[in-house]
Amino acid sequence: MPPTNLPISRFCRANSTRRHFLKNSAATISGLALSSCGWRLADVQSAPPVKGNADQLFIYTWAGYTDKALLDRFAEKTGIRVVADVFSSNEEMLARVQAGGGRAYSIIYPSDYMVIQMAQLGLLSQLDHSILGGLDRLKKQFQNPVYDPGNRYSVALAWGTTGLIYNSEQLKESPEDWSYLWKHKQELKKRMTLASDVREVMGAALRMLGYSLNSTNPEQVKKAYEKLVELKPSIASFTTDAWRPQMLTGDLKIAMCYSSDANEVIPDNDKLRYVVPSSGSSLWTDTLVIPKGAPNPEAAYKWINFMLQPDVAASLVERLSFSTPSEDAFSLLSPEVRENPILFPSEAVLKNCEGVAPVGKFMEVYDRYWTKLTSG
Amino acid sequence: MYTSIYRGVRRADEIVYFRRLLLVNPSAVHRPPLAITTQKSKHLFMAVSTQAPPPTPPSSSSKAETVSPWSSWAGPLALLGPSGLFLLLLLVIPTLVIFQLSLVPNIKPGDLVNPSGIGNYLRVFEPLNLQVMGRSLFFATGTTILCLLLGFPVAYWIALNVSPKWRNLTLLGFVLPLWTSSLLRSYAWITILRPTGVLNSLLGLLGIPPLELLNQSSAVLIGMAYSYLPYIVTILYASLEKLDRRLLEASQDLGANPVETFWKVTVPQTMPGIAAGSLLVFISCLGDFVDPELLGGASSMTAARLIYNQFLGATQNWGLGSALSMVLIFAVSIGIALLLKYGDRNAV
Repeated sequence: MPPTNLPISRFCRANSTRRHFLKNSAATISGLALSSCGWRLADVQSAPPVKGNADQLFIYTWAGYTDKALLDRFAEKTGIRVVADVFSSNEEMLARVQAGGGRAYSIIYPSDYMVIQMAQLGLLSQLDHSILGGLDRLKKQFQNPVYDPGNRYSVALAWGTTGLIYNSEQLKESPEDWSYLWKHKQELKKRMTLASDVREVMGAALRMLGYSLNSTNPEQVKKAYEKLVELKPSIASFTTDAWRPQMLTGDLKIAMCYSSDANEVIPDNDKLRYVVPSSGSSLWTDTLVIPKGAPNPEAAYKWINFMLQPDVAASLVERLSFSTPSEDAFSLLSPEVRENPILFPSEAVLKNCEGVAPVGKFMEVYDRYWTKLTSG
Repeated sequence: MYTSIYRGVRRADEIVYFRRLLLVNPSAVHRPPLAITTQKSKHLFMAVSTQAPPPTPPSSSSKAETVSPWSSWAGPLALLGPSGLFLLLLLVIPTLVIFQLSLVPNIKPGDLVNPSGIGNYLRVFEPLNLQVMGRSLFFATGTTILCLLLGFPVAYWIALNVSPKWRNLTLLGFVLPLWTSSLLRSYAWITILRPTGVLNSLLGLLGIPPLELLNQSSAVLIGMAYSYLPYIVTILYASLEKLDRRLLEASQDLGANPVETFWKVTVPQTMPGIAAGSLLVFISCLGDFVDPELLGGASSMTAARLIYNQFLGATQNWGLGSALSMVLIFAVSIGIALLLKYGDRNAV
């Protein structure tokens, strides 16, 4: 210990008055902050729209829907430079748009149930059908979809199913249904993954029990949760993408995935197969919307028209492996892509599939079960 | 036997203190009250005192009158102003905003912010959320202990056994992983630990049955310990470098074997460094998001991920997320308080 009879007391006094000052100012600031007249959290509507550069278009999309060739082709055709930002879940996109971070985007790619939610929150602008061409050339179910009657806010871009991808070499029996996971949970211990999406996983359990994917019945959801708890020790992880390298190397035997992802991965390993469970699964649709206050709506409409063009859509299907809702594009595809049961399953399979719809306040119940499932 | 070692140490501290005070404020140094008895310390003091003017009685009171209060503020203000403003705008005010949000039960985006109750905090202390926070604490303490056990020998070896000209290079080589992305390093662990990965292939070659390490707590602890090892090695190295070798020699002369020397001389001397390093690793681990997510599998939800789910998940429960954030900030503040109290006081 240094000797204490040195004149360091001057510093001590200065420190204490400074400390008092800081304490008081901190108290004042916090008092002001807490008692300030109420502000609205994430109030995006009241902000004025941003006027953007006419030859620039910012889009907010999923990872697998654009590539450089597409952006170059659009720039060549219209002279507009496109910058694509990527999100990995609808909720993340919604949170960002609500918090005000989505002001720069003129085109967003939400999924079907998110379109309903965003429309209810007043975040989308209505589409002017006179500028859009090609809406009537979509497949029937996408011209007047359940999630957006009359295509008021959105245009369907891609659709697909959720199912199971499995390694046929490592599994003795081929899976047909979700119940396969429960029946063989010992064999599949830590060799299976489920999607990290609450509606997909709970929906799978609900369909297996014979209920609707969008059930708001507390009893049914509780039973689905209990079934999943039973399966939990065998699940390696909840992931939407991380199964890919592990599936290819054989570390995983079965994974819950989207049909477009499965179609992309299967050519790399011919032992992999994809199946849509027979008790039903979810049918998802990804759409294009123009948010309210978009900086460049003319470019946005040009983009939508560009994506609706049959040759563009057909080449995207071949390159980026997703199913297109456009009838014309479908007819331009090569026969083996058209016959591909993963991308374009038969009517019998599609009949059993249900679209995910928002459940309003009941989402809290789903979320509580999901937190219990993933935290336990 | 022990008192002679510690008395010598106290003297060394005093000498360092005197030298610093002389550099800062020469006129404030008194003639030292304790008699300098050891030969070496007398030499040190004489060397030091020839650089400074002879010690005079303090004239601190007269000094204060000639300095105006504004110019004594100008220096600190100019130096600390920019970073102080930065911290105020980007640390203090956002924390206050989060605190305000945490006092609004059931707030959703678009609602009016009206602090009205502690409902969110009551939800934080539900058993489920407490379990998640307990898991965060478990990962943090486990990683700290692992890092200490692995890092101390390395730091000891670099500080004491490597010749001075190679020391910096060796330390640099050990800290080199920090230059790569931490996310990439976590992905590398997946490649190593997965069932048909590098580790199990090696074990298979040696005839040992494969280890099931991935998607469990063990993988998380390994990954996190690896990520934070360079930090703790650097801090421990800094502390061990200042270790006085003469003390080790003295203890050996006095009859202690190497193990006793280690526990009774080295560890108490480097305790500030150990405390600083452990608390740094602990605080960083509490907020670590990536490693439990990638390596932990299905039962690895930590507090950081739970907060993420509240803000970017389906329920958009910003109130609960804010309350969890405040609890995490509180836990980290306790860590920082401990660090300030037990960390390296001589370096501060």
